[in-house]
Amino acid sequence: MTEHADHDHEHHLPPKSSVKRWLVTTNHKDIGVLYIITSLFFLVAGGILAMMIRAQLWTPGGTLLGGQGYNQAVTSHGLLMVFWFISPFAFGLANYLVPLQIGADDLAFPRLNAMSYWVYLFSGLLFLTSFFLGSSLAGGWTIYQPLNVPAFIPEVNQVGSLATIFALMLFVAAVTMGSVNFLTTFYRMRAEGLRVRDMPLFSVSILLTVWMMLFAFAALLAAVILLSFDHLLGSVWFSTAEGGSLLWAHLFWFFGHPEVYIVFFPALGVMAEVFQTFSGKRIVGRKWFVIAMALVAIQSFVVWMHHMFLTAINLPIKTIFMATTIGISLPFDLMVFALIYTLAKGKIRFKTPFLFSFGALLLFILGGITGVFLGAVVLDYQFRGTYWVVAHFHYVMFGGGTALIGGLYYWYPKMTGKMYDEFLGKVHFAMFFVGFNLLYFPMFVVWETPRRVFDYAAEFTMWHRLATVGAFLFAASFLVMIYNMFKSLHSGEEAPDNPWEYASAGEWAVPSPPPLENYPGVPSYAGGKLSFLTRSEAADGGTVVEQEVAGTEQTAPDGGAIAHAGAAATTPTTDYAEELALEDEHADHASIWPFAISASAFVTFLGLSGISKAYFIWPFVFATGFMVAYFGIEGGRREGFGWIHPVVMALGGAIAAGGAYLLAIDKGGLGAAIDGASVYFWLTTVGAFMGAATLTQLGFEEFNVPEPAIAEQWPFEAVSNVKLGMWMFLGSDVILFGAFIGSYIFMRVGHGWTDWHHDFIPEAHVVLPGLINTYLLLASSFAVVLALVAARQQNRRRLLGYLITTFLLGVGFLINKAVEWEHLFHLHEGAFADGWTFTTNIASSSFYITTGLHGAHVAVGLLITLYLIVRAYNGAYLGEEEADTIEHFGLYWHFVDIVWLFLFPLFYIL
Amino acid sequence: MASTRLYTVIFVTLMAFSTAQALFEFTGILDRAYWFALGVIMVLSTIKATLVAGYFQHLVHEPRSITYLIAGALVGVLALTAGAAYSIL
Amino acid sequence: MGPGGISTEIAYVLGQTGGLSRTPADVFNTVYLVFLILGTLVGVVVIGYTLTKAWRYRDDGERDDESESDKVVRPVLGHLPTGSGGGKKLFVSFGISAVIVLSLIVWTYSALLFVDDTPPEVAAEGEEPLEIEVVGKQFNWEYTYPNGHTEEPTLYIPEDRPIRLKVTAADVWHNYGISEFRVKTDAIPGQTTTAWFVADETGTYEAVCYELCGSGHSAMRGDVVVMEQEEFEEWYANTTDGSTSASVNSDVTGDTDANANTNAADPAATEGEA
Ligand code: HEM
Ligand SMILES: [Cu+2]
Ligand SMILES: [Cu+2]
Repeated sequence: MTEHADHDHEHHLPPKSSVKRWLVTTNHKDIGVLYIITSLFFLVAGGILAMMIRAQLWTPGGTLLGGQGYNQAVTSHGLLMVFWFISPFAFGLANYLVPLQIGADDLAFPRLNAMSYWVYLFSGLLFLTSFFLGSSLAGGWTIYQPLNVPAFIPEVNQVGSLATIFALMLFVAAVTMGSVNFLTTFYRMRAEGLRVRDMPLFSVSILLTVWMMLFAFAALLAAVILLSFDHLLGSVWFSTAEGGSLLWAHLFWFFGHPEVYIVFFPALGVMAEVFQTFSGKRIVGRKWFVIAMALVAIQSFVVWMHHMFLTAINLPIKTIFMATTIGISLPFDLMVFALIYTLAKGKIRFKTPFLFSFGALLLFILGGITGVFLGAVVLDYQFRGTYWVVAHFHYVMFGGGTALIGGLYYWYPKMTGKMYDEFLGKVHFAMFFVGFNLLYFPMFVVWETPRRVFDYAAEFTMWHRLATVGAFLFAASFLVMIYNMFKSLHSGEEAPDNPWEYASAGEWAVPSPPPLENYPGVPSYAGGKLSFLTRSEAADGGTVVEQEVAGTEQTAPDGGAIAHAGAAATTPTTDYAEELALEDEHADHASIWPFAISASAFVTFLGLSGISKAYFIWPFVFATGFMVAYFGIEGGRREGFGWIHPVVMALGGAIAAGGAYLLAIDKGGLGAAIDGASVYFWLTTVGAFMGAATLTQLGFEEFNVPEPAIAEQWPFEAVSNVKLGMWMFLGSDVILFGAFIGSYIFMRVGHGWTDWHHDFIPEAHVVLPGLINTYLLLASSFAVVLALVAARQQNRRRLLGYLITTFLLGVGFLINKAVEWEHLFHLHEGAFADGWTFTTNIASSSFYITTGLHGAHVAVGLLITLYLIVRAYNGAYLGEEEADTIEHFGLYWHFVDIVWLFLFPLFYIL
Repeated sequence: MASTRLYTVIFVTLMAFSTAQALFEFTGILDRAYWFALGVIMVLSTIKATLVAGYFQHLVHEPRSITYLIAGALVGVLALTAGAAYSIL
Repeated sequence: MGPGGISTEIAYVLGQTGGLSRTPADVFNTVYLVFLILGTLVGVVVIGYTLTKAWRYRDDGERDDESESDKVVRPVLGHLPTGSGGGKKLFVSFGISAVIVLSLIVWTYSALLFVDDTPPEVAAEGEEPLEIEVVGKQFNWEYTYPNGHTEEPTLYIPEDRPIRLKVTAADVWHNYGISEFRVKTDAIPGQTTTAWFVADETGTYEAVCYELCGSGHSAMRGDVVVMEQEEFEEWYANTTDGSTSASVNSDVTGDTDANANTNAADPAATEGEA
């Protein structure tokens, strides 16, 4: 059935053999494949580091890497595996399969999906680059503070360290884009009749995973942003003795504990899926399994302090977190038992995917039991910082990884259209499982070895050698896998639609590999089973008619592929071709801009890693000027010139020129400024300009993504995809800003809430500028509301007027802020004779960074406003539906406003 | 869709509340009754935020599930703040 | 200690054996043992059961398909999931595991209270704890005794007397631990944590840093010398004498705080802070 794919209605997509295809594709299946390959690449990178670690541990106090080198290897290994390998690997599978499982033809925002892939890739490349910039970060994957602020990092290693931090930041950006995208897809694009709880368990697990990702990663983002400012501008968040270390620990573990489930849940989903297929049974207690998973997802946000039992936290809070920790282990018991009981009365076939999933279950049982040890606080006290923890989390995390590898074998035929080699698969499993236990079990035995230390008691040597041997066996097993995958791609047997007896999820009802548009028609579960409606039926509202399902008898010997409704599907008849042609006009599948934007981000952040504080802001000032001018140019070129275009171009020019003027004053002449600029300044500038251009191009690009005509959308029926996406994004932004504000509160409580003002804040820091800015922002919000009303009423002149008003008010906000900051920077007041700057104290750091990040949100909002103005000039956004764009922008703008409503009292009054 | 009139009333309220917040400082109430003033000021901010979210972002007209989404995020981050701050008391 | 002694061990840790003094090391070792035994047991049972089931229900092509599928509804491609029974068994096993886990944790909670507290019972016997301040710094430990004497990097302590540590750090986050005595606590700049232990045998042990703290982390170890009580008293008296210089035993010159030295006296009498 591969004719569909070849028969070229691939919508301007070059064929898979061309490199260009992979740069421009926005199709979820292509991107899934890219994710998988890239994550395996990072597995190899992290794996090489692991081999170096194990090699050094061959004898106590080995010298292979040296002290700093060893720390670097341990740190990078952890970061690469946890962030760049395991989750992206799972999301490669999710990208490919979730739309197929829920009956969507793609993710809700295909370009965003491509972008999140490319940002992920480039974040990893930035990470690898950091090795060549002195050193990557070497302070542990948990990045405890203050070890990882510049004061404790040797000068030569600072650029690389910051590059690593930026890599993490970019990675989080990618994750957030992905989460928003998946959530919107799950809630808006399920096939008719498919309730959330009825989705295949892999999809259920991914849904819960992305929920956790949306919130947890926002906390990490907050932590990493603050850390990057400690590097970039010398703020003192994490070097403040009163609480800086603990602040990091709280932020990190608030993210970190959900992260362990983020890693594990997709594996659980794969296990559930594979167990059901290969035992030929539905999972036992499915409902409870799903409820247990959902409980864990929620509880995961209230256990973080079990990583901090040995810090100075008080006994009551320890007790609470001990209780929540034990509480969270219970739902896991239930899930494990559900999986085990599913085997009973099964018809179990020990194929490679099952072997891996089954192995994963065994490993997880061990990891879980040792986790209960850690939950007993008296034991945890002693296990903390030892190989017990190392062994425990490898059993659980890589136990999860084991299941994911099973998933790769399971879906390999679907993705490639070829069967893998079963014998080699089993060889892989044998080596893998033996190697795994040889590698990690000895760590329990010699758990008294301190973690991240390459020296250990001489009597432990034998066990560590055993582990090293296991490590090499384990690593070698992956070579077998990679060979198998390559070989099978060329010479594997052709895979049928469904090679697995008893598989039940939707992806097996379509060809292997599936055609670009996934389904021959519009999938529907309204009759309790999968059927396909023609597009015109779907357009009519698509209640299922019995005849649709009539053709779907399960008789095929290979486990029963679904016969497609009517004749339409089996052969591309003219009807079907027409249907596809119909779709042709609507859906786009190619855009180069996600790639280009991500590449720009790479260059920008590479530059920022080494840029000096004195030059930090200027690339962005110039790039902003350029971007504004470019709006004018592109807007006029594409939609016709009018008076607005030269005005906007001039505005852009003025911003750039003004920037240059200020820079020249600051550095004593433009020549001196240029002479003083490092290569990093130029890199940042080039990157920022590229970013400005490519983002503008993306903004103007025509890219159609039709929303499904019929879909199950509980509980978000009444909102559009874009609006829901916007809200999801704002949800994560609530955590981001909440974490900034929470950090401020934490540090202030740590210092003594009421002493803070007296000890840290100059007299000159007064209420008035804040009050004025509150007025300005509130007024601008009001203007946006009126703009929306005008757009709905199709009044172009008023729309333009209100947008311009918004813009001017926002600019007023920023200018007022700049004046205020300028004044505070250059104070000569009593205790603050050298001014009150980023570096002065924790109060100044928190004030500038928090309100500054808010200001950056305002600035971004203003750029969008300008873009809207340019488009609105030529008549865009007028009408009920067209006005939605204004509404979505408003959601963002009002959110920024709301944040300020809290910043104002906290930073100006109290 | 609410009327422009309603929007205007809300806007005026927001401006008034902001002024009131600043007045706590200007009149010296903040110095005399700090914790009381803190309470009132934060309550005012919360009301303002609710008004903006409810009407400018018209959460009141959206499916309740969107409110839950945002409320969930808010609860999470409040748990973080409260838990962290309490742990060092 | 064999499993036979386990019940007395448990009673011991629960504090029901009257006058016996417990140490954190005893507590840890007992709890650990109990967990190890139960954990192994549960692990063996669960994994054994799983393997048996998996083998028993393997598809060897011999079992009669028809009669089986009468009882079991096999999944069908494209069908929405239906329940799959077995719920009762699920809840029973879940209940059992929950009871085991919960009772274990409740039990260890009393142990936690004991370890987190100041050493109470022992103090009652007249053995006043010795309080020592520990400062972690890249890449060494510095100890300050009640009399103000400082030692670095070796810790000298008496045997059989509770030692109470107040731990902090001068630069970055470290973690102070002596594996032998099952004592460990974070050393965090700006924070002070406490922990206590009893060394019940003389000899030389090792204090290790358990939190990555920089390039010298792996080598951040210091000796812990446990002396007999009289020997220690003697050594300690010496340190108070030489008020300006570091102790003769000190490998690295510790700054002896002159002020603190003035109120130095018999260590047993300087207690009271705890
Ligand atoms: C039975 C449930 C579990 C319990 C009770 C548990 C408990 C704990 C505790 C208390 C710690 C802190 C150890 C310490 O540093 O002192 C810990 C560490 C860890 N756990 Fe678990 N855990 C469980 C399951 C999991 C799962 C499912 C995963 C991942 C898939 C996981 C991954 C980790 C990781 C990565 C760490 C180490 C973090 C680090 O310090 O780098 N755990 N676990
Ligand atoms: Cu955790
Ligand atoms: Cu250390």
